[in-house]
Order: sequence, then C-alpha cells, then structure tokens
Amino acid sequence: MTEAAGGGPRLQQKVAPPDVNALVSVLREASASRSVVQVVGGGTRQGYGSPPPFDIALHMTGFSGIEEWDPDDLTVTVGAGTPVADLEAELSGRSQTAVLPEVPGASTVGGVISAGVSSLRRARLLGTRERMLEVRLVTGDGRVVRGGGRVVKNVSGYDLPRLVVGAFGSLGVITSMCLKLWPKPAAAATVAIGDAETAARVRRPLAVLEHDGATDVFLWGTPEEVFSSAARLGGEMREGLHWPADPDGRYRWSLRLPPASTSEGVSRLPATWSHLAIHGAGEIRAASDAPDGAEDLRGWAEGMGGSLVVVEAPRGGINGMDPWGRPPPGLEIQGRLIAHFDPARVINPGRLPGGL
Amino acid sequence: MSLVQDLRAVLGDDRVLEEPVELYLYSRDASLMQGQATCVAFPHTTAEVAAVVRVAEAHGVPIIPRGAGTGLAAGAIPIDGGIVLSTTSMNQIELDVENRTAWVGAGVINLDLTKEAEPYGLSFAPDPSSQSACTIGGNVANNSGGAHCLAEGATTSHVLGLEVVLAGGEVLVLGGQAPDMPGLDLKGLIVGSEGTLGVVTRALVRLLPIEADVRTLLLDFEELSAATRTVSDVIAAGLVPAALEIMDQKMTTAVENWLRAGLPCDCAAILLAEVVGEPEAVEAEAALVSRIGMQNGARNVQVARDEEERAMLWKGRKSAFGAVAQVSPNYYLHDTVVPRSRLVETMEEVQAIADRHGLDVYNVFHAGDGNLHPLMAFDASDPVMLEKVHRAGEEMVAACLARGGALSGEHGIGLEKRDMMRDDFTDIDLDAQARLKEAFDPSGLFNPAKVLPEGSRCFDFGGVRREIPDGAWV
Ligand SMILES: Cc1cc2nc3c(=O)[nH]c(=O)nc-3n(C[C@H](O)[C@H](O)[C@H](O)COP(=O)(O)OP(=O)(O)OC[C@H]3O[C@@H](n4cnc5c(N)ncnc54)[C@H](O)[C@@H]3O)c2cc1C
Repeated sequence: MTEAAGGGPRLQQKVAPPDVNALVSVLREASASRSVVQVVGGGTRQGYGSPPPFDIALHMTGFSGIEEWDPDDLTVTVGAGTPVADLEAELSGRSQTAVLPEVPGASTVGGVISAGVSSLRRARLLGTRERMLEVRLVTGDGRVVRGGGRVVKNVSGYDLPRLVVGAFGSLGVITSMCLKLWPKPAAAATVAIGDAETAARVRRPLAVLEHDGATDVFLWGTPEEVFSSAARLGGEMREGLHWPADPDGRYRWSLRLPPASTSEGVSRLPATWSHLAIHGAGEIRAASDAPDGAEDLRGWAEGMGGSLVVVEAPRGGINGMDPWGRPPPGLEIQGRLIAHFDPARVINPGRLPGGL
Repeated sequence: MSLVQDLRAVLGDDRVLEEPVELYLYSRDASLMQGQATCVAFPHTTAEVAAVVRVAEAHGVPIIPRGAGTGLAAGAIPIDGGIVLSTTSMNQIELDVENRTAWVGAGVINLDLTKEAEPYGLSFAPDPSSQSACTIGGNVANNSGGAHCLAEGATTSHVLGLEVVLAGGEVLVLGGQAPDMPGLDLKGLIVGSEGTLGVVTRALVRLLPIEADVRTLLLDFEELSAATRTVSDVIAAGLVPAALEIMDQKMTTAVENWLRAGLPCDCAAILLAEVVGEPEAVEAEAALVSRIGMQNGARNVQVARDEEERAMLWKGRKSAFGAVAQVSPNYYLHDTVVPRSRLVETMEEVQAIADRHGLDVYNVFHAGDGNLHPLMAFDASDPVMLEKVHRAGEEMVAACLARGGALSGEHGIGLEKRDMMRDDFTDIDLDAQARLKEAFDPSGLFNPAKVLPEGSRCFDFGGVRREIPDGAWV
C-alpha cells in the first residue's frame, strides 16, 4: 500500500492480462474509474521519472516471446514482455542482435523501449529508437493501434514506432514491436587503452567505454580487421565483448551531453560517483550514495544543451530536485498528444517531464 | 489588405510571387500532379517564416512548405489554393566538426552539405539520387533514403534536432547534440511528416567520418532473379554492405544510351554493391559479395579501379530516372517495400503485372532494403495508357502489401498514396495518426489533404472534404 495523492491508503491490484483483449478491458476499466496503472516489464526501472502512487500494477508477462523471426530479413517481431536477455540469446543462435542493452538484468523489450534506454554500442549502431520498425499498442482508452510495418524502410504515415521510445507508456501500453536486427560479425575483441583519446586510432569502433578509471575499446568485424585495429590501439586485448554493468548505487543518474564533451562530463562528476561513459554518444551513466553535487552538475549540463536525469532515487525523492530538470520545449504539444492517446491519463501519469 | 499585400508587407514585394506562369511552376513537383497555388512566398529567416504563418492564419489560407519540388508523391502540391512557402533562401550551414554535427538551413541542397563537410573528413549519409537538387528540408519532411541508407539508416537516423515553425507562428528548437532529450521526441515525429505539422526551418544533423576504404563492385547476371537472390543471400550471410542496388536490362540500357557510363547492357540485370570500412574488412567483404554473386551465376564481377570509375558507376545509378525521361514522354514509378527475403517472387509478380497490362516496366531499386521502384514509361497524353499505368501501379503496391510489405519506403505518401493508406491501416490506426496531426495543427493549416485519407479522424465527418480534383494527374 502507498499513500494516495488525496491522503488515504490505496488498495493495489496486480493484473497480468493474457492477451490483447484482456488488456483492452483492463485499460477501459481503469479509464472509466480513473485508476492509475503502472506498467511493469522487468521492474528494473520503476524509479525512473518519479512514478506516482498507483492502483493497478500491470504485468506484461502475458506478452512474451518471439512472434515472427525470419533471420534472412534481419527483423524480429517480439512481445513487449519478452526479457531482453532471452531475446538476445535466441538471436545469438543465428549470429544476430537487436542491439538492445548488453547487461539488461530482468529488463523486458517493452520496458527498455518505453524508458528509452539504449545499447552501449549506440555511438556506432545508434540508439534504441533506430531499432523500431513497427509498434502495436493499446491506448489508455482501449484502442488497439498499429504504426509502421515489418520492413526495414517505411515512410507510410507518421512515425509512431519511434515516438513510443522513451514515452513511458504515455501513448499506450506496447504489446509488441518489430525490430531491425544487425548481424554479429565473425570476430570481436575488447582492448584496454590508457585514455579515451587513443581510441581515435580506430575510425569507427563499436564502442569506447570509460568506467572505474579504465577505458576499453570494443571492436567487431572480420578477423583481419579486428586484429589490425587492436594492434593499432596497442592495449591489452581480450577476445569477445566484455561489457561492463551499469554503475549501481542508491542514486542512479544519466548525464547527457554533446558527444565531444563526454570527457569533460566525466571530470566534472563528484569524486564519489561511479560512472560508465559512452564516448562518441555523449551518454554517461552514473551512481552515487548521496545526491550531493547533482544540482551543480545539472546546471552545467543544461548550459551545454544537455541534461542530468535521475534514473533511480530512494523513496522520498531528491530534496525537491525534479527528476528530469529543465522542462523540454513543446510541453503543450506533448500534453495534447498524450491526451489523444490516454485521455483519462491513467498509464504512468506524471512520469514525463513537466508532470505529464 | 489582401493576402498578397500582407505577405509583401512582411517580405517585401519581390519575395512574393503571383504571376500565373510562376504559380503554375510552383504548383507542381516531380509527380504527375498539378495543383493551384494562390501565391509563392520566399522567407529568408525563421522569423519571416513565423510571420508568413501568422498572415496565413489571419486569412485562413493553408501553407504548403516546399523545398526543391523533387518529391515524387505530390507532397508539395497545393490542391486548392494556398501559400507555397519556398525554403530555398534558407541555406546557411554551420558545422561543428568536434561534435560531428551541423545546423543546416532547410533550403540547403543535400549535395552542398556533403561538399561542405568533406574537407573535414565528414559526410551526410542520406544520399537520395536527387541529391544535387533536393533540399535538407525536403529530406527531413519525407524521411528520404538513398543508396547508402542500407547500413546507415534513412534521414531520421541522422537528424538530432530541428528548428520548426508551428501553428500560431510558434518557433521551437527540438532535440539537440546531447542524446535522449527528456520528454516525447517531437523532433522524431516531425521527420517524415511531409510538411503537415509545421515548417522545418533548420535541422541539426549527424555527420559521419568518411570511411578509410571503399570497394565498389559491379556484378552482372543473366536473370534478374539471380541478382535479387544474391542480395537476399548477402544479407542472410550476415553482411550489411554500404549499398546494394539493382538495375534491370531496360534501365541499364536507357542509362548507357544517355551517359555511356560503361555499364553492360547485354545482361538481364546488374548489381551495384559497395563495401566500406577498414581496408582489411573491405577486402574480405568484397570477396564475400563476389563469391555469393558467382554462386548465383554472376557472369562478371568488375571492381571499380579508381575513384573516377566508381563515381561513373554511381552517376549511372543515380541518373536512372533522368535516363528514362530521355526515352519516354512520361514515367510513373511506385516506391514500395517488401521483406528482403521476398524480393525474388515480388519482382516476378511486378513483371507479370506489367505484362498483363502491356506496359513497359523499368526496374532500378534499393535492393538491400527490399525497396522497389518499378517504373512505367508511357505517354500521358493517351488517357487509356494513363489509366492502365494507374491500374498496374495499384496492383504492384497491392502485391507488395500482400507479402507483408509497406506502401512507401522513402518517397512518402503525399497525395499520391493517401487513399491507399486504408489498404495498410485500420480505421483506428488512421484515427490515431490523425490525432498526432491534430495535436500539432488543430486547424489544418499545414499542407492539407496530404498523408491521411479524408475522414481519418473518425469524428470529423462534418469537416470540409478536399477531394483530389479530377484530372489532377495530368
Ligand atoms: C530523379 C529523382 C530521384 C530521386 N531519388 C530519390 C531517392 O533516391 N531517395 C528518396 O528518398 N527520394 C528520392 N527522390 C524523391 C525526392 O527527391 C525526395 O523526396 C526529396 O527529399 C524531396 O526534397 P525536395 O526539397 O525536392 O522537397 P519537395 O518536393 O519540395 O517537398 C517534399 C515534401 O516535403 C515538404 N517540405 C519540403 N520542405 C519542407 C520544410 N522545410 N518543412 C516542412 N516540410 C517541407 C513538402 O511540403 C512536401 O510534402 C527522387 C526524386 C527524383 C525526381
């Protein structure tokens, strides 16, 4: 039980609809009774964007598994409740990847997409939004909507598939999506280097990650290419891709900067924070036990055109700090968009910037 | 004051056109349609665009944003009056080499951006065949693709931010150099919206480092199906080359007769493949493409010896539509997509449809993406022929949809395919799309009648219907 906005205790209900029809009923009823629905995928990012007290915990376990996968097309259609790890394991069997987060824990595909979390390979293969080809969702008032299609190139109508990335369910509960896949080449290696600058010796590495005082370059490609690139870097080479886990702590942060400011961003983190910086992408994931220094860091990041987002914080918040920081432009339009898809505003209300 | 007077008060006399011959020219694009503009406005700055929007609203006249007018889906056509807003004077480029980005005016020509970036070892990936004419604003509006979008993605993957003028003359700067701007990604939604949500005045684009090495291969085949099968097999082998483009014999011959690019005309199809990257990778990947081609019966594999030869091969490919214009009074092409594994059967079906209607079909397409452009050459002054072309085109699109494909891969829906949207989407899907439009542009100011069929918003049956006028095709 949690405290309701109005004061009294709320009775929470857990539901796990087995199919789209059942999900439609859940959302219609929630809209009619104005019950707040929290969508739970793997439950790994429930702290993101100050979640409100809720009435219904909607578990997506009923929408799990691969619906369609033709390896020759390099596309896969998958249920939103499918764990990222399961999907990637399956795709690996045919040397393919959906380029989703590498250390996903219990995250589901729908959860990663709704929270807009990207792969560590994003500087080379771009973020999660670029995987989206088709989306199926159920709106807050129970409409079943599809956007996009199961082909790799499509400009038929407005780009709903990419819009749901990072939307925290505000446009509807995603039930399935079609993703663009990438082949895994024959060779891969992780090379430890002294500093991020050295990575420039390779033109387009798969990733350059800085964490706990170490910097690793991740390479993939033909064996000849990987070995010659590793030789040029000169560091200690391990075969395969050895991805670091996200930093963990009571507070988890996401610092987003123009790519060329990544090193400066790392140097400006409070000394006690641990971090994982994705060079070339301008994303730094950080964790700390206390929020001290965050306000200053945010002020600097926003001045650079970036942001400092609170990904996870202990209950009770962060001394009045807004999870997102300065509201983005176009909030009015965002509000109107959301009102069209979730008129009673029952799915994860208030989790987006500006209290949307 | 009249509309034109009000616009002239904002822009000056010479930046508002209203002579009939000028209106005629600005009422068409590269499609077969002809519309009717009320006037044409040439703002130079974002503030001027905002002022034009406010004048339009005060007069209740729609705005049709226009770049170079190379669009093939009649997206820039004013169907019953309106201000054609030309962006061609908005052509500043600001490079940020360190961050590998550029703020680019909507009217900048695609190729000019590439040329500007080149000395810094950078390039803009989307390279539509029309790149020497089309604008960045048009690329953004149509989410355009190009031969090199196979590995790098279409325009949307390269747009980081947008400056837009919306209803009410509101100016917003969306997105930016930093990733994952909090909130809904409005910028991403504007990409591909075909000028129906607002006017894009500037775009912040991602630039890519020019690759260390490149190998361009020309494979020729005795059967079209052997070429398409090679493409499917290359993708299935886990290789995503920079480009995989096919031209059939008719198209190759038309190009060769016009340009003398050195393309073989005695084969059923040619495949242009390009691999890029570190030298070692390029070597191995080129060998793999050749091997798969040979397994599928390629007669020859020719590797471009130098940059000049490579440029010539690409010129041949990118001039395909122009080449057909040399041999036929009109042409009409459909831009559709199928899953890549179904290319062979789809191409056979496309040919069968053309044969059934007694039409000449030329094929040139982004094979690696499964993106077809069957092109029918004909004489539009013959109404029977025109009718046949339309019928055949619709059948080709239907054949692609039936195989799990999509209506358009890169040219957009515009007016041309808006009524076919019902063949791909349910009423509820279309209503959801109409709501996206409504959230931005509740009064329907921007590029009315495009993308969505009339009545898409389930509750707007009482609205003014804008039918495509009879005869708009010619
Ligand atoms: C020979 C030829 C080859 C082509 N090859 C390709 C190809 O390989 N790949 C491909 O994808 N396309 C191709 N096209 C189609 C076309 O060139 C592209 O769609 C191009 O991006 C259109 O740009 P434009 O500046 O000409 O836009 P226009 O034709 O002027 O406009 C296109 C659409 O964009 C809107 N628009 C234009 N500017 C703005 C703005 N600033 N803000 C808001 N909306 C705007 C218009 O309203 C319209 O809906 C080709 C066309 C031709 C004629």
